[in-house]
Parts: sequence; structure tokens; C-alpha cells
Amino acid sequence: MEKRNDTAKTSLLILPRTFTSTEANKTGSWRYLRPRYEEKTSPCSNACPAGEDIARIEMLAEEGLFKEAWETILRENPFPAICGRVCFHPCEGRCNRKEFDEAVAIHQIERFLADTARKNDSKPVIVGRNEKRPEKIAIAGAGPAGLAAAYFLTRLGYGCEIFEAREEAGGILRWGIPPYRLPLDVLQAEIARIQDLGIPIRTGTPLGPSFLSEARGKYAAVFLGCGHSRPRGLGIPGEDLEGVEEGLPFLASIRRGDMPKISGPVAVVGGGNSAVDVARSVARLGGESWILYRRRREDMPAFETEILQALEEGVKIRELLAPVRLERKNGRFVFTLQPMRVDGKDVDGRGRIVPDGDVETMEFAKVFKAIGEEAGEDWYRPPAEDRDVLRLSNCTVSMKPGLPVLVYGGDLAASLKSVVHAVASAKEGAIALDILFREGRENLSGGLLKCRVGEGPSLSMEIHLGGPRGRRSSHIVSYSEINADYFQMAPRITQPRLLPEERLKGFDEIDLRISANLAIREAGRCFNCGLCNQCDNCFLFCPDMSIHRGEGGTDRWIDYDYCKGCGLCAAECPRNAMVLEEEKGS
Amino acid sequence: MKRVLEGSQAVAEAVRLSRVAVISAYPITPQTHIVETLSDFCAQGKMNARFLRVESEHSALASLIGAATTGVRAFTATSGQGLALMHEVLHWTSGARLPIVMAEVNRALAPGWNIWIDQTDSLAQRDTGWIQFYCESGQEVLDTVIQSYRLGEEVNMPVMVVLDAFFLSHTYEPVDVPEQEEVDRFLPPFVPKFKADPAAPCAFGPLVPPAAYMEMRHSMAQAMEEALRCYPAMEEAFEGLFGRRYGMVEAVHCEGSDIVLVTTGTVTSTCRQVLEELRGKGEKVGLLKLRMFRPFPTDEIRRHLGGAKKVAVIDRNFSFGASGIFAQEIRAALCNEPGHPPVFGFVAGIGGRDVTADTLKGIYEHVKAKESPDRESVWVGLQEVRNEA
Amino acid sequence: MIEIRFHGRGGQGTVVASILMSKAFYRAGWQVQSFPFFGVERRGAPVEAYLRLDEKPILLRTNVYTPDHVLVQDSTLLHSIDVTRGLKPGGWILLNSPGTPENVERYAGFRLAWIDAGRLAARHGLGTRTHPIVNTTMIGAFARVLEIPPMEAIEEAISEEVFIKTGKNIESARDAYREVQKVGLIRKAGTG
Repeated sequence: MEKRNDTAKTSLLILPRTFTSTEANKTGSWRYLRPRYEEKTSPCSNACPAGEDIARIEMLAEEGLFKEAWETILRENPFPAICGRVCFHPCEGRCNRKEFDEAVAIHQIERFLADTARKNDSKPVIVGRNEKRPEKIAIAGAGPAGLAAAYFLTRLGYGCEIFEAREEAGGILRWGIPPYRLPLDVLQAEIARIQDLGIPIRTGTPLGPSFLSEARGKYAAVFLGCGHSRPRGLGIPGEDLEGVEEGLPFLASIRRGDMPKISGPVAVVGGGNSAVDVARSVARLGGESWILYRRRREDMPAFETEILQALEEGVKIRELLAPVRLERKNGRFVFTLQPMRVDGKDVDGRGRIVPDGDVETMEFAKVFKAIGEEAGEDWYRPPAEDRDVLRLSNCTVSMKPGLPVLVYGGDLAASLKSVVHAVASAKEGAIALDILFREGRENLSGGLLKCRVGEGPSLSMEIHLGGPRGRRSSHIVSYSEINADYFQMAPRITQPRLLPEERLKGFDEIDLRISANLAIREAGRCFNCGLCNQCDNCFLFCPDMSIHRGEGGTDRWIDYDYCKGCGLCAAECPRNAMVLEEEKGS
Repeated sequence: MKRVLEGSQAVAEAVRLSRVAVISAYPITPQTHIVETLSDFCAQGKMNARFLRVESEHSALASLIGAATTGVRAFTATSGQGLALMHEVLHWTSGARLPIVMAEVNRALAPGWNIWIDQTDSLAQRDTGWIQFYCESGQEVLDTVIQSYRLGEEVNMPVMVVLDAFFLSHTYEPVDVPEQEEVDRFLPPFVPKFKADPAAPCAFGPLVPPAAYMEMRHSMAQAMEEALRCYPAMEEAFEGLFGRRYGMVEAVHCEGSDIVLVTTGTVTSTCRQVLEELRGKGEKVGLLKLRMFRPFPTDEIRRHLGGAKKVAVIDRNFSFGASGIFAQEIRAALCNEPGHPPVFGFVAGIGGRDVTADTLKGIYEHVKAKESPDRESVWVGLQEVRNEA
Repeated sequence: MIEIRFHGRGGQGTVVASILMSKAFYRAGWQVQSFPFFGVERRGAPVEAYLRLDEKPILLRTNVYTPDHVLVQDSTLLHSIDVTRGLKPGGWILLNSPGTPENVERYAGFRLAWIDAGRLAARHGLGTRTHPIVNTTMIGAFARVLEIPPMEAIEEAISEEVFIKTGKNIESARDAYREVQKVGLIRKAGTG
């Protein structure tokens, strides 16, 4: 405070204000708690098998930075347009927002970003290592695992060559998923982007078991992503009768444009996604679809949304019916079925089923078997674990002396058969090979552990390549760590979708695009768990003005000379991007 | 140019002409027309000002403290409950020595809920360190807002321009709206004596210890005295340009009158007409209009009332447990004068009740008939109330 | 001094009528003061507004109790409001009425005039057919009834203040000025 006599005319003006700086008082010496910026792992990111940095993707999407958001996906997953459509989005199941109102529609935003990038003909710029490595890698199978492996390995600097037995790339995506879920042009655009990286895909080139020895010297490693193509039998009399068809070849023929007219009741045996896809395709071709499943409906491995859509489209499901035999009478199939009931639990946790009463029969015009497939060739099967064979979360690595390193990936070794698990498997294989070649076998396990998103098993290329977001801590943000006072209830976006009657007219994609406005609004619902989105709450609340911002307001740091460690910044951080720790050594 | 304007519009025109840079207010009847007009001016580009929308009157004034600290002219308007909510911040404004100007439309305080005139709201803020003017007409309101910026900025004190609810705020009458160049001559751009400067960081409103607080408050007291000293020159300048003057008080036929009525606000206007009538009948009656209430023009009051035989103060307000507030202050101003006249106190027109010519004549007759007041306050025109409990 | 009271319903532009009238009189050289009934009103509720006129500055700042004339914008108010309250004997009552007013005895001692302002306003597209805005039409008629202010002052006031359909409002006021029916002083029944 200071007295001032400005002019003789005006009265004394004594102001309650300081005239000297208080900067000499380094009040930070008082501190026994220290706040620190620490980005953490969002639960969605941890739940995503591909380890996508979802908190950041949503932040960028909300800001309208659609290309940057799309590139952020591409750092971890080469297939946003595909996964935005067909992935079963485990991310949303772990979304913290679920505890507040409803989970963020992450998959819809992912699809929006991918479709927008394609509409704009965007060319992604993915920074990070691409120094040329001497090792060449052969990849067997141009399905999701093989394509993704080539994509990741190329980014890591390895020359790759893909061998595909069929006439076109895409694997299960090309031949096993109907167009109403994944239009062909969408798939082709994603594959083209991988080819644009200079990766040759040798289609119509099946590999035999001798390839492994031929590869020696030429390829340092072989990634086997051949998938499951050999159908498993029902093991009942009559299953080989003419007219009893396998599901996958049927779906492949539709993909080729072959649209047979089907009429009358059609049985589809199985409970997985392929069974549901077959049933829904049959419905589109004019047949009356019946899914016959041994267990209960809730035990069906198919995704729930697919089952619900099938029911909307008129598909009927009969649960707890096991096939006994098939006969042909008067041009129709008579299917003898054994009703089942649940009795206790199986080792896998599902209900154990036992026969319940007398068999019944149903008549069908056609029967499809869709109970799953296994590896097409015996040599595709991963060997048992031993000194040279390492089983990882989603792939198996064989390091037999004298042979190229073999990585069994995709459906051959993944924990779950899904597109995103194929990506996870490819990434795990690629990182494993990179560590092997660069750091040696002894560093493999430890190196993989370091790349985990949160507690794993998802892995991150961003972490492996030491990118800035790789520095986020492995702590997974829980809902109780979100400062929910800063968020307002807002309903989740609904997926615009064709009406069931419109869907049955053909194989057009049934889920429609959302607008940019809706995507921005939905992305804005994201808590951005553990991610600093520069909301500036810390800056506003700091009573000591100790939060400093860089040019453009994108960087923040704390002036510990004056920070008294009150912890307001950390407490008022809406999304747990700060920590408060006890001061050490004082 | 003379235009038929509503009292509220006259305030807004004055704010526009004063080139106010920041306006912040919260709507409340009967003040709302003021800020509505101002927000129109801002939206139409008739004013180059920022209009801050806030969630309460407390925030309105608090935000203006921030604005005014940066050295710009600031304005707000409120009424009744709104002013009551501002109370704490009123002290902050004067203590921070910020010459913010406020239009205060007198409104009765609840309960009972009442939107009509009653001066208790502004008088309850008499100790907050704001200069206060009570106005009588649309013209006076317009002129006083412009004068307030000049006076307030000269002594670094905030100013409250008070006008009656509806009788002034909602009444249309001819008002001379001066040209911008004329106003600019009277009120040049604001040159603050201090302002927040990012290049020289400092804290405003920090702790002031016992060793300094008293001096700080004393400087505010001196500033108020300085306002009394500055006022005549300010009004001289105003009259020179616009041909109008009002005075801190206005004495009408006080000299030689036996009875002087003391009034504020629109009652003064009606009283002028009553005065003509009574004097026409040979009554020796005068009128003292109290215009400036803070700082209190004690000398002027003594000068004009000292010669009267009786003084009657008309209060449209009341201090519970005491009397009408203007009456208290007039009594206090006179009590040290030897042989001062007795002061009769009348409470009238509370909560929007009309104070008519007949009301005023009745007061005059009452005073004329009595030697001295037999109580501190006479409540005029009370009706019998039946309690149907 | 002349005091005029305006009757209408919230939303009918009654206060605006009093303001337009004050501006017209001011243009014609009068001192004016106009103000609404000080209250909290909603659409459809009866409202009042007042206008004082004088040759010298108006000092009186009180309510109007004994108007010289009244203007009634809505004849349905006649059922619920005594529009003659405090009206000075011989004062004009201008009614907005679709036809010759009935029961005119109740206006005995006052002068009566009427105009079908609703029809005129609707004809000029002011408001809607069911809810015509009659205020400008009424003041046109009132100017003729009182013989002050001159019609040009009314037209200028409308041009200055009314920004929507200004021309139509002026035309309607002019029509009303021509068409208003002056019944004149109403005598008590039986006095001939």
C-alpha cells in the first residue's frame, strides 16, 4: 500500500492495492503435496483389443479435427472404416460415461471419421519410425490379420510380401461378412490404403507346407494369418446330403454377386455371427430363416445387436435344440432335433446342457451348417509351447533354430475370433518381431509388457514407438475419479438405420451415416478420461497463479516456486489428468 | 434535440452519450427498460460497449469492478431486491475507488412483494460510500448520469443516480437529448488515475492491516468532502454548455418563508405546483429539493432551512424503530445550529401509493396548525386495516 | 391541463397509443406527459394508460383521477369496467364499436363518439382478422373527436414510432379520422 497525492485538486487516493511484487516470497517452499500433470489410460482404450487412443480421438473429433482424429486411429488400427462397422466395440462396454448416463457411441464416431476421410480422399500422415530394416517378412493370408501385420511391420521398417490363396484380398471380410454390414467399396478402400504403402499382395498364390523351408534365407520371418476355413462337421447322419450347405461358402457366393432365389423354411444350425449372417442373408433372398441352436439364446456367441437385428428382420430362433439326424423326404429335409435343458455349468461358465425329453422333427426346404471353422491346413496350427515357442495373448511365436521366425496370428491364435482381435494379433506379432530383431530374444517378454495399454493385453504402437501419448500412465481411470460435476446429462446418439422392410429388399448397408454435427456432439459427450484437453480448469482454480500455459494454450506446466500444493488443480480436473503426490525427501 | 422519452430511455441515452465501455446488469422491474434500451443500443451498434449478461446483480457489479479496474467507464442499473443483493459489492466498489455509475430505480423491498416506488432500498445503502442523487424528471435523470461520470471520476467515487419507479422510470415526457460533441466537451475520455496493467502486476483489494485501514477509509471520507467542493465547478461547466443547473439542493422561495417543505424525487415536482397555488393564496411556504444525499450537503441545508420557522420533511421511506431517513438527516444537520426550526417528519407514498397535491396540502395544513411536532413521523393517509385472522 | 385515459387489454397496444398520442401532441406544440397504469399485467387483462396535455410544463406527477376524456380500445371491456370513472362532465368517450353503441343512457352527461376500428384495422392488414391491432386507428379517430392535434402530427408520430406496416397504420388512422361517428352529448333519459 502506498499513499499518492496525484494533484492538489483531487483528494487523497489511498487504494487497497499492492505496489511491490510478492514474487520474493517463494510460497512453494510450504508445499508438502505436489500436483503434477499425468495423463492416464482410459478404460475404453484398455478395452479396445487394438488399443486405440479413444480419449484423444474423441477430443479431436469434438474439435472438428476429423483428419487428425482419423490418423490417431490409424496409429493403432489400419481399419477404422471396417471396425467402425463390424467391431463389437468392447470399448463402449467399459466407457465411464455409462455410469453417468449412457456410454459414448465410440464405434459410430469411428465410422464417421473413416467415412469422412474417404469422402475427402484424405491421405494419412502417420509420424513415427519407418527406417528401413534389412529383414524381409512373408505374410500368409490377406485377411484382416495378414493385412494388419503387413501394415504394422511396414511402419516398423520391414519389407513385407503378402501371399493370398484366393483371387482377391480381404479374407473373412471379403468372403464371410455380408455386404449389408460391410459394403465392398469400404473394404476395398481400406485394402487400397495398405497397398499404397508399397506392400505387394500376391493373390491366387496358396502356400504349401514346404514354403517354410523355402523361405529360409529369403525371409527372416513368416506371419501366418491364414484364418479358419475348414468347416467343422455336425457329426450327425445325413449332414452330407445334397442340398445341405456350409454357411461360409454360401456367404462367399453372395459376396461374388450370386444371389440364388430361396423359398420356404430354411434351417441354419449354429449360434455364431456366421450363423446369424447366413440367416439374415437367407431372409433377404426370400427364405424363412430358422436359427437352431443347442444352447440358450444368451449363450449365442454372435453379437447381441446382430441377433436383435436378425429378429427384427423376421429371423426366428429356436434355442436348446441339438441336431440328431437329417433325412430327405419328398424333396424336403426332415430334421430330427433333441430338446435340451440347462443343468449346472460347464467349465467355460456357460450352462451345461443335457437332453430333455423326446426328440422332435421340423421340415425345411434347405439346411445350412454354420457351427464354426477350424484351420484349413494342419501346418497352420500353432505348435505347443516349448523352449522356442512363445504363446502371447493373441499370437504364437515360434523361434526354432534354422527356420524363419514363425508368427501364428489371426484366428489361428487369437483369444477371440473377431476383426479387432485379428488387428491385435497382427500388432502383437509385429511388435514381437521388431523386439526380436532389434533387441534380441531375451528382451521379448519385457519389451511387450512395456507396450501394454493400461494393464493390457491390448498393445500400443504409439507406446512401442515412444510417441508423446505413449507417456500416459498405465493407471486406468475409473468413474469415481471423474469429476462428474463438470458434465451434463446428454442422451447417446441413436444409430440411423434402414427399416426392417427396407433392409429385406436387398443387401444395402443398413446402418446410415451420421452428420458431422451429430458426431461432434457425440464426441463431446466423452469424458476424455485421463487426457488433458486443455479445459483450463487447473489454470482457473489455481489460487497462486502457478499454472502456466505455452503459446497457443496447448502446453501447461506448474511453477513449483509458488505452488503451495493445495491440490485444487488436481481436484478440479474433470478427467483425472493430474495427480497429487506427497513431496519426497523434505 | 427535444424528444418525448421514457425516464428509462433518458438514462440509456445518457449512458450512450457518456461513451460507457462496459455495461453489466441483471433485469428487474422497474429497471428493466433501462438495460433493454442499452442492449438494443449495443446490438444496433449505436454504442461501442460490451454488454455483459450475468446471473445476478451481485455478479453484475462484481464484473464491473473488474472492468472499471482496467480504466474504462462502466454502468449498471438495478432496483429494490437487486440493489439489496449488490450490497456487499457496493462497498467493494467505493473502497476500490472506482467511479462506476449506477441508475437505481427505487422499488419497495419484499415482503410483501411490491414493484412500486419506495426509497428505502437506496437509502439503506447510504453508508456504502456511493455518491447519491435523487432525480425529479427525465431531463434531470439524463443530465445527472452525464454529470455523475465527471464528478465520480474527479474524486474516484461511484455514483448512484436514483429515480422513482414508474412515476419517473415509465413516464414519457419531453427531454432534451444533447449532441454527442457537446457531451464530449463536458465529459472528455476517461483518464483513470490508476488501472490494472499486465506489465506491472499487482493485487487489488488485498489485506489492509490496522496500521493502514483507517487512513484508507479516511481518504474515502475526504473524497466525499472533495465531491462537495468540486460540485459547483462541475455544474458551472454543465450549465455553460447545456443551460441547465440543478444544485446539490434547490431552494424554491425558502427565503422569508415560515414553512419549508423538504422533498426528493418526483414529489418535488408535484410540490412545485402546490407551492404556486398556496403562495397564490398568500401562504408563506417554501420548498427545498434535496438532490444530492451523499455526500450530504449540510452547509447548504443549514443555509436554506436555518431561517424557516418550521420544516416539514416528506419521506417515501422509513427506518424502522426510528423515522423517515431524510428527516433524520435534516434534523442532524440542523441540531447544532442555535435556534434551529422544529423538523416535522411525514411518511408518505410508501410502496407506490400516490402522493397527490392534496396529500401535500394536507401536510402543509398539519404543520401550519402545530407549534412543534408531537412525534418523529406522521404516516400520511393510512387506511384502517381489518385483521381477519 | 387536459387529462386523457386510455382503456384496453394487455397486448392491444394501449400504452403505445398513449405514447403515440403524446408524441403527436408534442409535435403540435403541447407539453405532454404519458405513462401506463403502474402494474403487472398480462395479455388480455384490462390495462390503462394516461396522457396529460398542457401549454406550460407539466409539474403534476401523480396518477390521473379525473380525466377530461377517455378512449376505449375494446368495447368488451364495457361489461367489466366503468370507463366513466372520474370522467369530467361533458368529456368525450371514444369507443371502438362494430356498430352504433347500445344502452347509451349510461353515458349520460358525457359526449360519445364511436368508430369500428377493428374493421378498419383489419382492412389495412393490421394484426389479424380475429385480433386486429387498433391503436393507430383509434388515435386517428380521437384526433378528429378532440379536434386536436392536427392529423399531420398523428401521421408524423406514427411514422416516427411504428416500424411495421407504417403506411398501413397511417392509412387506417386517416380512414378513422374521416369515418368516426360523433354522437355528441348524451342526455339523461326523459329529459328530451
